[in-house]
Amino acid sequence: MWMRRNLFPTWWDSLLTVIFGVVAVWGAVTLVQFLVTSDYTIIRVNLANFIVGRFPRDELWRPAVALVVTLAAIGFVAGVASAAARAVALDEGSSFRSASFVENLRRQWPLLVTIFVVLMLTETWGPRLTVLVAVAAAFLAFIGGKRAPAAVRRWAWLLALVMLGVAYAILVVAGGVGWGGWGGIQLNIFLTVAGILLAFPLGLVLALGRRSSLPAVRLVSVSYIELIRGVPLITLLLMGIFAIGFFLPAGIRPGPVARVLIAITLFEAAYIAEVVRGGLQSVHHGQVEASQALGMAPWKTTRLIVLPQALRATIPAMVGQFISLFKDTTLVSLVGLFDVLTISGVANAQPAFLAQGLETVTLPFVGLLFWVGSYAMSREARRLEKRLGVGER
Amino acid sequence: MTDMRVFADATQAKGETVIELVEVDKYFGDFQALANINMRVGRQEVVVVIGPSGSGKSTLIRCINRLEKHDRGRIIVDGIELSEDVRNIQEIRRETGMVFQSFNLFPHLTVLENITLAPREVRRLPKAEAEELAMQMLTRVKIPEQARKYPGQLSGGQQQRVAIARALAMQPKVMLFDEPTSALDPEMIKEVLDAMVELAEGGMTMIVVTHEMGFARAVADRVVFMSDGEIVEVGTPEHFFTDPREDRTKLFLSQIL
Repeated sequence: MWMRRNLFPTWWDSLLTVIFGVVAVWGAVTLVQFLVTSDYTIIRVNLANFIVGRFPRDELWRPAVALVVTLAAIGFVAGVASAAARAVALDEGSSFRSASFVENLRRQWPLLVTIFVVLMLTETWGPRLTVLVAVAAAFLAFIGGKRAPAAVRRWAWLLALVMLGVAYAILVVAGGVGWGGWGGIQLNIFLTVAGILLAFPLGLVLALGRRSSLPAVRLVSVSYIELIRGVPLITLLLMGIFAIGFFLPAGIRPGPVARVLIAITLFEAAYIAEVVRGGLQSVHHGQVEASQALGMAPWKTTRLIVLPQALRATIPAMVGQFISLFKDTTLVSLVGLFDVLTISGVANAQPAFLAQGLETVTLPFVGLLFWVGSYAMSREARRLEKRLGVGER
Repeated sequence: MTDMRVFADATQAKGETVIELVEVDKYFGDFQALANINMRVGRQEVVVVIGPSGSGKSTLIRCINRLEKHDRGRIIVDGIELSEDVRNIQEIRRETGMVFQSFNLFPHLTVLENITLAPREVRRLPKAEAEELAMQMLTRVKIPEQARKYPGQLSGGQQQRVAIARALAMQPKVMLFDEPTSALDPEMIKEVLDAMVELAEGGMTMIVVTHEMGFARAVADRVVFMSDGEIVEVGTPEHFFTDPREDRTKLFLSQIL
């Protein structure tokens, strides 16, 4: 009955169903065939390259420990967020149930499956042990965050940032490896996270500047935003590599990763500013008036009344921006950094794999890594959005 | 001066003057929203401002706490004259509470946070003290049980009462009401008016822009009728509803009563 109604209601629909059915089956069969018959040796052999690039092999414990600390930070924030959502729900008198194991699985299965498959490809126990410890750390931090007293919870974001700082320090200090030695997907993730952390405050200032009552501030903000948005990122990256030296005092010669990070930050800030501006416009002017009428100073009105509402409204657009930044970090392969896309090229050029058309294996693998990351981000953002919607019904 | 229920103008306040407007003009572009407004409000007095839409009554009270900037004349609130000085403006805003037609509660904060925000940020009260004050105000408007909810979870009437409590928590000397019941469903108007009546009886100085003639009749000391940016007629409620003088007043009252 269902088939009749939805797939074959008229002869025209039936025709479409048959055509697309054949195409879909053919596509699925080809895909499975491709997956089964491909030789994954190139990925198996180069796995460490894909993940950390040229990072010195006898220092690999550093990224491992950094990963454990990072996941613990994420777990902690998730735990605190869960506890906060529960507190709000209890205040309202409604019941609260945190997501079950199955729900989490359903939400993040692509990430989990990918991690599992990658671990299956590894030949040593190091990565498996690392992931195991990292997951355990995240879980413990989640429980810790959930049970943390309110005083600790208030500083959760700061604490998480400090933990990220610690993870970073583990990579670089005390005989560690500077940015020049970084690579692989780790470099892409680093450029994304650092780009967001640096560009977000700048973008916020630009967005507020664009609405400032001071003409000079407004002019500078608008000029900056419109100038940067009119230029392709790759142009800025190339300028970062070749031209940034002219703008810096002699003696300061940042390495290529720093140059690229500066270019990304400047570029992202302009886009984030526009996203924030959209959010600012969505806040009704009556909110500002109510705050003013209470005698609140202008910057307090902005900080406590306007921005919280504006930023909440921008979550979907902001996450979209972050996802596109994540993918755009592959452009650094064009300026000679050893990011994951460069690594795939390098792998394909290795004598053992040269000219065998193995791009059909490496490029989909790189694509998979990005898709999995983007999908995870967008799912979590949707969840966050729903959660923050509390009270705005 | 035979009829004591009519006033020659709006400057005859009873008792000590709290708000004074002298020759105030206000333009929006070429449109004159306020024309030569002279007015005084005495302590503990309730002044109801009525008039057709576009007559400048909202603009009048919005000038008093500088949500709109007047172009000419002087506005003095509790001895402080409104000037370009930001500190003067802040000080006057601290002394005047305002209730809006569309409530303008902060949707991202709970009812309690809505009310404690300004006392904590502006008056620098400690959290516990501010919360105690907030609960007192909520009790006064008879919804203490809603403290932990978000504005979006309340009815319109409850939201407006929270807005009144929020303004009261700053312990203002004057309360300005800008059509507080115009956005409410009919069945919720009474609960808000009741809160306002209670406030008036408690001795609060109030300027109320409203179309609620019943409220005007019950609590107003004086009614001010505005039209085309001017104060047309001033009198006691009794005068207004039995024996209005001006043609514009008669026309307006015949349309809304």
